[in-house]
Amino acid sequence: MNDTPQAAISCQNVWQVFGPNADSALSEALSVHSEPEAAAAALREKGLIPAVQDANFEVAEGELFVIMGLSGSGKSTLIRCISHLLHATHGEIRIDGENIVEATPDRLIELRRKKLGMVFQHFGLFPHMSVIDNVAYPLRVQGVKRKAHLEKAQKVIELVGLAGRETHHPRELSGGQRQRVGIARSLVTDCSVWFLDEPFSALDPLIRRQLQDEFLQIQAELKTTIVFITHDINEALKLADRIAIMRDGKVVQIGTPSDIILNPVDDYVREFSKDVAKGRHAHVASVMEPGEGHVYGADDPGLRVDMTLDAALARCMDLYEPVPVRAEDGTLLGVVNPADLAAALHVEAG
Amino acid sequence: MAGLSKGSLAALVALIVGALCLLLETTLPWLVKFPEALVVPATDWVGAAMTWLLQLIKPIARGFSALMSYPMEATNLILGSSPWILVIAVVTAIGWMLGGVSMALMAVVGLGFVLASGYWAESMNTLSLVAVSVPLALIVGGGIGVLANEYPRFRKPVQAMLDIMQTVPTFAYLTPLLVLFGFGPVVGLIASAIYAAPPMARNVLLGLERIEPEIKEAAIMAGGTRLQQLFQVEIPSAATQILVGVNQCLMAALSMVIIAAVIGGFDDIGWEVLLTMRKAQFGPALMAGLVIVVFAVIIDRMSGTLAQDNRKRYDARVAWGILAVGVIASAVTWNSLPNPSEYSAFDGAVDAVDAGLSAFTTANWQWLAAVKNNVLYFGLLPLRIGLDEAVLPFTWGFQWTAQWSLGLFAVGAVAGLILALRGQVTWGIMTLIFVGMLETGITNLPWPFVLVGVAALGWVASGRGLAVLSVGLLLTILLSGLWDRAMLSLYLSGAAVFACAIAGGGIGLLCAESPMAWRITRPICDMLQTIPLFVFLIPVLMVFQIGEFSAFLAIIAYAIVPMIRYSRHGLTETPDEMIEAAIASGATTWQILRDVRAPYAAPTILLGLNQTILYAFAMLVIAALIGTTGLGQLIYLALGQADVGLGISAGAAMAILALIADRMVQGFAEERRKVLGL
Ligand SMILES: Nc1ncnc2c1ncn2[C@@H]1O[C@H](COP(=O)(O)OP(=O)(O)O)[C@@H](O)[C@H]1O
Ligand SMILES: [Mg+2]
Repeated sequence: MNDTPQAAISCQNVWQVFGPNADSALSEALSVHSEPEAAAAALREKGLIPAVQDANFEVAEGELFVIMGLSGSGKSTLIRCISHLLHATHGEIRIDGENIVEATPDRLIELRRKKLGMVFQHFGLFPHMSVIDNVAYPLRVQGVKRKAHLEKAQKVIELVGLAGRETHHPRELSGGQRQRVGIARSLVTDCSVWFLDEPFSALDPLIRRQLQDEFLQIQAELKTTIVFITHDINEALKLADRIAIMRDGKVVQIGTPSDIILNPVDDYVREFSKDVAKGRHAHVASVMEPGEGHVYGADDPGLRVDMTLDAALARCMDLYEPVPVRAEDGTLLGVVNPADLAAALHVEAG
Repeated sequence: MAGLSKGSLAALVALIVGALCLLLETTLPWLVKFPEALVVPATDWVGAAMTWLLQLIKPIARGFSALMSYPMEATNLILGSSPWILVIAVVTAIGWMLGGVSMALMAVVGLGFVLASGYWAESMNTLSLVAVSVPLALIVGGGIGVLANEYPRFRKPVQAMLDIMQTVPTFAYLTPLLVLFGFGPVVGLIASAIYAAPPMARNVLLGLERIEPEIKEAAIMAGGTRLQQLFQVEIPSAATQILVGVNQCLMAALSMVIIAAVIGGFDDIGWEVLLTMRKAQFGPALMAGLVIVVFAVIIDRMSGTLAQDNRKRYDARVAWGILAVGVIASAVTWNSLPNPSEYSAFDGAVDAVDAGLSAFTTANWQWLAAVKNNVLYFGLLPLRIGLDEAVLPFTWGFQWTAQWSLGLFAVGAVAGLILALRGQVTWGIMTLIFVGMLETGITNLPWPFVLVGVAALGWVASGRGLAVLSVGLLLTILLSGLWDRAMLSLYLSGAAVFACAIAGGGIGLLCAESPMAWRITRPICDMLQTIPLFVFLIPVLMVFQIGEFSAFLAIIAYAIVPMIRYSRHGLTETPDEMIEAAIASGATTWQILRDVRAPYAAPTILLGLNQTILYAFAMLVIAALIGTTGLGQLIYLALGQADVGLGISAGAAMAILALIADRMVQGFAEERRKVLGL
C-alpha cells in the first residue's frame, strides 16, 4: 500500500436496492432508521432487495483492491455501481474526485472511453467478431482509424499472449484464451481504473493460476487502480493489496490480507480463512510488539518484519524467549514471542 | 364441500348448472336458445364505427396504395420480363451461396418444375408480391421489435398485441383492407405485410432479450453510444434468432399472398388454384398447388440455412459463374424462347391425374362414402347435435328415445361413481358432464352451462382472473348474436383437435419409441409445416368433395403436426437418471411410461396441444372455402360482401375462442411445470 493524497475511487454510503420504487422506499427507510441494518431490514420486509447496503471505502491510486464474498453477497452489484452499469440508488461514488453517480450520459461515455476498463466473469465477448475486432472495439467506437486501432489491438493481444489467434472467433477459443481476449479488450484504451468481476472464476484451477500470475505481471507493468472481485479467498490473498469482505450486501471488513487472516471481525470472515495456510500470508509485523523497553533473549535468529509467519517460525522453532525483529538495515523494530507465532498459525483451532 | 379439491369443486358446479339447464330445458327454452330480443346489433355498430374510421384514413390508404404500386409494378416488370433462364440462374446462384450444391440443385429442379408446369407467369406475379411485402414486413416488424426492446414499458402491450394478431384469422384482415384499398393486388400486399410482420417483431425482441447481459455490458463499458451498442453489438449478436424471424416472415408472407388471392384481381398462382378448384378441375388445381409447395420449400429451406449456427461458407466464384452462364444463355436465346406459359410438359400428367382421380373415385365410391358417412354419423353429427337428435333410423338404424337417454345417464352415473369411489372424484364428475354433453350436442348446449363450464375451467387452469376474462369475452359473443356460429366453430375445431390429440399423441409416442418411425415421420411433418394452408384443401376436396368432412380432414392434416412433434419431444426428454431410477426400482416399461415419462412430458405435450388448437382455428377459417358453417363462413361471406362490421365481429369472435383456449391450456401447462419444479 502506498500512501496517496487523493483516492482513485471513493464510495460513500453507497446503496443499491432492487425492486419497485426502490428510490422512494430507500429514502423513506433511511429517514426512519439511522442504522443501515435496520433500514435494510425494513426494505427486505417490503419485499425489496438491498443488494448493497451502505458501502464505504476508498481505493488508492495504483492499489489492487479485492472485493470478496459468497455468491449473492452483492459483489457484482457493487462493482456495477462503481462502473455505473447500475445507477446507485443512494450515495456518492467518486473516481478521481468526480462524482460519477451524477455524471451525464455523454460524460459517462467519455469516461468509459478514456478511463475505465472492465473484465467479465463469462467474458462478454462479441460472438460475431474475431479476436482482433473484439479487442479493437473500444477504439472503433471512438472513431479511431482502422489501421491505427488494429495496430494498438495487436500490441495488447501480444501483451496477453494471444499472438497468432487474431482472426479466430470466440467460439473457437478455450476458456482461458477467451478471458485473455476479455482482458486485452479492457486494456486497449489504456484505462486508469480497471474493474474485474470474477475474471478467473469460470476457469480450470491450473489455467486460473497461470492467468493470476500473468495478471500480476501486467499489473506490475501498468500500475492501474484495480477493483477485483472474487469468491476465492486464496485468489484474494494472492493478489490483493487490501480486501473488502461482503456479506448479504454489507461490507463487513476491510483490511490487508494478514488483517483478514489474523483478526477476522466475525465468524463469517473467520470461516473464509479457515482453509487458508496462514503462515504463508501473514507477516511477522502482524504479531510483533514494539521493541522499546522490551527484553529479549540472547538468541537472534534474524527475523525481519516482512517475513511470513511460516518462515519466521522455521527460524525459531526451538526458542522460547522473545526474539528481536529488525529492519533490512539491522535497526531494531520490535520483539516477537515465538509462542505468539505458533498461536497465530492456529487461530481457527481456538 | 371442504374436502373437495379445486378441480372437483369446479366440475361439480358445472355439473349442477348443466343438470339444472337440462331439467328446465322444456319449461324455459331461453336457456338453450339465447333470446333474440336481448341480442344487440353489435355487428352493425362495429360496422358503422369501422366504416367511419376507414373513411377517415381512406385518403391516406389510397395514397399509400398508389405509392406501393410503383415498387410492385417495378418488381413485377423485372420478374415478369426477365428471361426465365436468368431468373433460374439468379436463384441457383443464391442457393449456392446459402447452402452449396444441395440448395443450388433444389433451385434448378424446383424452378424447372415450375417452368414445365406452365405456371411461370403466375408464379412470378406471386413472387413479386412476396418480394415487395417481405421487406415491408421486415422493416415494420424489425422496427417494432427494436423499439419494444428499447422501451421496456411497451414490451407487455406489444407482446399482447402480437399475441392477438396471431389469433385473428387471416381472412378477417382482408375485409377492412378491401374497403380501404379497393380491389387489387395492393390488398394482398398489405395483408401479407401485416400478417408477416409479427413473427419478425417477436423474434427480434426475443433475440435482443436473450443476449447475455455481459455482452451488453461489455459494449457499454467499451464506451459505445446507444446506437453503436445496438447496431454494432446487440443486433449482430442476436442474428441467429433474427434470421429465424426472417424465415418465418417469408413463409407467412407467401402463405398470406396466396390466401389473399380470394379477393381476386391479380393473376397469381393462388388465384389459379382457386379458379381450377371452383371449376372442379382437380388435375390443374393439384399442379398449381404443387407449384406453391415448390416455392414454399425453396424459400423455407434457403432462408432456413441463414439461421443455422456456424454454417459453411461457399466459394462466391461459383455463384458468379452460374450467373454468367445465365446471362450468356439469356442473351443467346433472347427472343427465341417460347413464352413460358406455353410450356406444358405436365399436361399429359395433369389429364392423367384428372382421369385417374375420376376413375378412382368412381371405382371406390362406395368405400369412400362409407368412410365419410361413418365418421359423420357416428362421430361428427352426435358431437354437433347430440345423440338425441343424431341417432335416427337413417343414420344409426334406430330411433333415440327418452329411455335411451335415461339408460345413458345411468351408465354414466355408475361409471362416475366407480371412479369417484376409487379416489378420482374430479374424473367421476367429468364423466357425467361428458355424457351429458354427448347426449345434448355441442351446438345445443345451454349457454349458461357453457359460461359456467368455461369459468370453472379457467378458474382451475389459472385462477379467478382467467375465469372472469373468459366469461366476459364469451358474453360479448353471446350478446352480439354470433353464439350459434361460434358453437359451430367450436364443435368442428374441437372435434379436429380431439382427433389430432389422439392420433398425434399416438404417433408422437411411436416416434419417441422407435427412431425408425421418427425418421419417416419427420420429413412429412417438415413438409406439412412448410405447405401454405390453402394447399391442404386441394387433395381433400378432390376425394371427398365440398362439406364438413373435407374441412375436418384438412384441419387435422394441418393441425396434427405440433401434437406429434411436442409429444415426441416431451417423451424423449425425460432425464436418463430418472429412467434409471425407475428401472432400479423395478418398474416395467409400461409403468415407466405411465408413471415417469408421461407426467414429465405433460407440460411439453400441453404446449403441443396449445399449438394444435391455434393451428386448427387458423385452418378452420380457410376451410370455409370448402364448406363449413361456423364463424369462418361468416368471415368469408363478409369478405364477399365487403361487410366490415360482420367480418370484424366474426373475426374477433374467432380470436376470442382461440385466445381463451390458448390461455387455458397455457395455464394447465404452467401448473404442471410448477408441480414438476421446472
Ligand atoms: N437486476 C436485479 N434485480 C433484482 N435482484 C438482483 C438483480 N441483480 C442482482 N440481484 C440480487 O442482488 C443480490 C446480489 O447479487 P450479485 O451482486 O450478483 O451477487 P454476487 O455477484 O456477489 O454473486 C442477489 O440476491 C441477487 O439476487
Ligand atoms: Mg457475481
